[in-house]
Amino acid sequence: MNKKLVSAVLCGTMIVGAACPVFAGVADGKKIALVGKSAGNAFFEIAAASYKETVEAEGGTVDVVYPEAATADAQIKVLDNLISQDYDAICISANDVNALQAKLEEAMDAGIKVSSFDSAPNADSRQVFVNQAGTQAVGQALMDAVLDISGGEGQWAILSATSQAANQNAWIDAMKSIMESDEKYSKLELVEVAYGDDEPQKSTDQTAALLQNYPDLKVICAPTTVGIAAAAKYLQDNESACKLTGLGLPSEMIEYTGADDAHSCPYFYLWDMQGLGKLSAYATIALANDEITGALDETFTAGDLGDYTITEADDGGTEIVLGLPLEFNSENIEEMAKLY
Amino acid sequence: MAGKSGRSINNVPESPIKRTIFSWEGILVIVFILVNLFCAWFSEFYNLKNLLRQMPVYLAEVFLMLPMAYILVLGEIDISVGSIVCLSATMSCIVCNTGAPFIVVVLTALVVGTLCGAVNAFILTRFEELPPMIVTLATQIIFRGIAEIVLGSGGSISATNTDGFRMIGGKVGSVPYILFLVLILAVIFAVILGKSTFGRRVYAIGTNRLTAYYSGIHVQKIRFIIYTVMGTVSGLCALFLVSSSYGANTTTGNGFEMDAIAMAVFGGISSTGGKGNLAGGVISAFIIVCLRVGLGQRNVHAQVILLIVGLLLIGAVALPNIIGQVKRAIKK
Amino acid sequence: MKEKSVLKKITGSREALLAVILILLFAIVTVISPSFLTPKSIMDMLKNNAVTMVMSLGMLCVMLVGGIDISIMSTLALSGMAIGMLLKYNHISNTFVAFVIALAIGAACGLVVGLVISRADVPPIIATMGFMYVYRAMGYLISNGGEWASAAALGSFKDFATTKILGMSCVIWVIIICYVLFFFFMKWTRTGRKIYAVGSNANAAEVSGINVKNIKLMVYVIMGILSGLGGALQVSVYASAMPDMQQGGEMDVIAACVIGGVSMSGGRGTVLGALLGSLILATIAKALPLVGFDALWQNTIKGVLILVVVVANVVLQRVADRSALKGREM
Repeated sequence: MNKKLVSAVLCGTMIVGAACPVFAGVADGKKIALVGKSAGNAFFEIAAASYKETVEAEGGTVDVVYPEAATADAQIKVLDNLISQDYDAICISANDVNALQAKLEEAMDAGIKVSSFDSAPNADSRQVFVNQAGTQAVGQALMDAVLDISGGEGQWAILSATSQAANQNAWIDAMKSIMESDEKYSKLELVEVAYGDDEPQKSTDQTAALLQNYPDLKVICAPTTVGIAAAAKYLQDNESACKLTGLGLPSEMIEYTGADDAHSCPYFYLWDMQGLGKLSAYATIALANDEITGALDETFTAGDLGDYTITEADDGGTEIVLGLPLEFNSENIEEMAKLY
Repeated sequence: MAGKSGRSINNVPESPIKRTIFSWEGILVIVFILVNLFCAWFSEFYNLKNLLRQMPVYLAEVFLMLPMAYILVLGEIDISVGSIVCLSATMSCIVCNTGAPFIVVVLTALVVGTLCGAVNAFILTRFEELPPMIVTLATQIIFRGIAEIVLGSGGSISATNTDGFRMIGGKVGSVPYILFLVLILAVIFAVILGKSTFGRRVYAIGTNRLTAYYSGIHVQKIRFIIYTVMGTVSGLCALFLVSSSYGANTTTGNGFEMDAIAMAVFGGISSTGGKGNLAGGVISAFIIVCLRVGLGQRNVHAQVILLIVGLLLIGAVALPNIIGQVKRAIKK
Repeated sequence: MKEKSVLKKITGSREALLAVILILLFAIVTVISPSFLTPKSIMDMLKNNAVTMVMSLGMLCVMLVGGIDISIMSTLALSGMAIGMLLKYNHISNTFVAFVIALAIGAACGLVVGLVISRADVPPIIATMGFMYVYRAMGYLISNGGEWASAAALGSFKDFATTKILGMSCVIWVIIICYVLFFFFMKWTRTGRKIYAVGSNANAAEVSGINVKNIKLMVYVIMGILSGLGGALQVSVYASAMPDMQQGGEMDVIAACVIGGVSMSGGRGTVLGALLGSLILATIAKALPLVGFDALWQNTIKGVLILVVVVANVVLQRVADRSALKGREM
């Protein structure tokens, strides 16, 4: 009985050991860990692949590590594991702004460089944040899209992820303040901010409720990949007059994008995902090599992406902004869907 | 309720049964040693220093296993504990940020936890025909929902004064306080369950609630106490969880109930009630913790780790049963 | 005399009580938001809750024999992801074949679960908790570590959910067919009655010649098949397959059954109850954003409503039992 159980345990774990080879580490190469929000997120995978490629081309090694669930608790366990393994640097996409502070400070105290991308932990928990696109720039692009698609006036609504999602909340706040600051948006009326929790089912319910409650709704803006796809499907299936824009993955949106009435989304935005992975990789390498410390106004070269300067982030920390959001429309979406 | 009529009655300590329970713990000890040897071979970073450093986050969940074992022995289940942890952590951070002394923060966490537990207990004893799973499912949604409301649109709170939390997260040498506390509580919970009248009654209720009731046991009183204590311990868990993150958010404690149940069941505590003891639960908790740390140290994919834990769980319950069946078949 | 017996019938039957609760819910929501009670809105609601509704039928069978299955959404993700990946990489393109594959994977998953529970005597909650992790992990592994199969990749498969027959989406027809099938299966077939027999008293069923183990095995296979169907429906309705889809959704299915009066200790519960239970949950989900509650409050309100419905059920049942007793005394 003992033997059986034990051998079962050993067998199981040995299979795993064989299935997950660990890089030996090039002698002078840097050992870097990339921590995702959760496993199974296509959005993250694209940036991670490019991150890994970049670091390995430069002679370092990357381990992409996922927490068991999309929670800060699970990321704390992952960080504990990473601190034990003497990494040179950790790059993280944080599940919570504050909860990782204790562990990330512990990591920095242990001499591990901490960078982040996609979703930032608070200013004390990181050395630098690679921002996919400036918060203001995203807000401006989305706001102008809403203005353009609505024809300059009418009701519009936002369909976000969870009410706690830090990135989405920042973009929504930016949109609101831009809307108030300029007279040209004065005829637009933001009727509701709904939350679909990044679940297709709930996002669909919320989209349907928006249409039922506001029959004259002209535009829905969904700054989240799952939400925009669910809303696009619902609007298109129902041949609704209400149109959609927001942030989404081209490969998810290709069916719904087009300028004509048969498509629910004239155009939407995202950023250069490969570029985000690449820039984050170079930023992390620069940190690990002590080329930068994450202080304001430092500059570094990110391979063929060119030179970047560290700027101040909205939360008081520092960030590197990749660039402006990219627009995807019927002309370029076929091309871009092949990439991500 | 339980399938074979003879089996559930046997759980009152009689010597042959005692022997089999002992042997299950014996197996667990051997598995524990083997898991540690395996991890040491598997990961070059697996040593006592790293283990002790990584353990506190997992140990917070071991707290939950202790009262959960009582609930499982009752033949019931509580899936709201993760949400109670979330609400307690949230409230303690809020109180902490008002500048209250740390003792008040501690009390807040414990009181909020106890209250939540008492809500479960009240509903479950007042409407005893309701299945615990569905009641605690509803309260699971409600408690986390309240935390969401309290936290507002940010969904996250950071404790500004972390001195107190740093203190309880402290260490004697390199051994964290929480390890001592887990062991002390484990001994207390184990002794009460295994040696006291109260514990015997819990087994009696788990074996046959109606019989227990007719033999004069205050079934509802005992259930009330256990569900309330489950809440209190969830508050304790929340405190130590905050001490590793200095904050709380809407996902704090998500899924902890499943981890706690898995540890208890792997330790030989039956979810159909009336069987198992805490020594097994504690050893199996440490087996799971060590295995997860060891595998995690070589970045084994999180889903693969869960897969292994899942298989272990099924195997730990299925193997003894299959062996028993084979033995019986041979005897025939 | 006649009036009394009608009243008695209503208070005596769980389903009638539930129907009253459902009608009340409908009325309240319609008063606050009139757009709720339109054919389109109701069909939206059914389509968007197809997965839960169909899977409640399997959970009904499982709970009738005193079991429970919390691995169902992992089975759903595994089968849904499997056909998603097969369609994405053009291994299959036929919708019917995709459905068959999803059902087959579901059946296989259910078979393994059923064997472990019926043959190795593992308590259902533990076995299915283990398989919840195992199947979910397998779902991740076949997704190439996190790929999604999106609308474009699914080809004509997603058209299944948008095709309408007699003015109703195919998805709604699937729900109707499932419920009609199960209604007859549970009520008028020998196997269906055996499930009730095993759930009411396994020993008595055993003695009367029913193979209890096989019945237990069967209900988990049924559950698996319906989970597979759920996977195919999920992918078709939302035109996207993700490895983490419906995580945590098993609790909705269990809640639907319990609200519908299915007993967790087995032997009691009906297809009609499962239908009403899942409709009540669906109505709550549909109504919360319509009625205009603050987004932050929606989860709490959902939890309170579930609690209120189950408690109300118990209280009404107690009243009914008491009046039944009174009637006997007289």
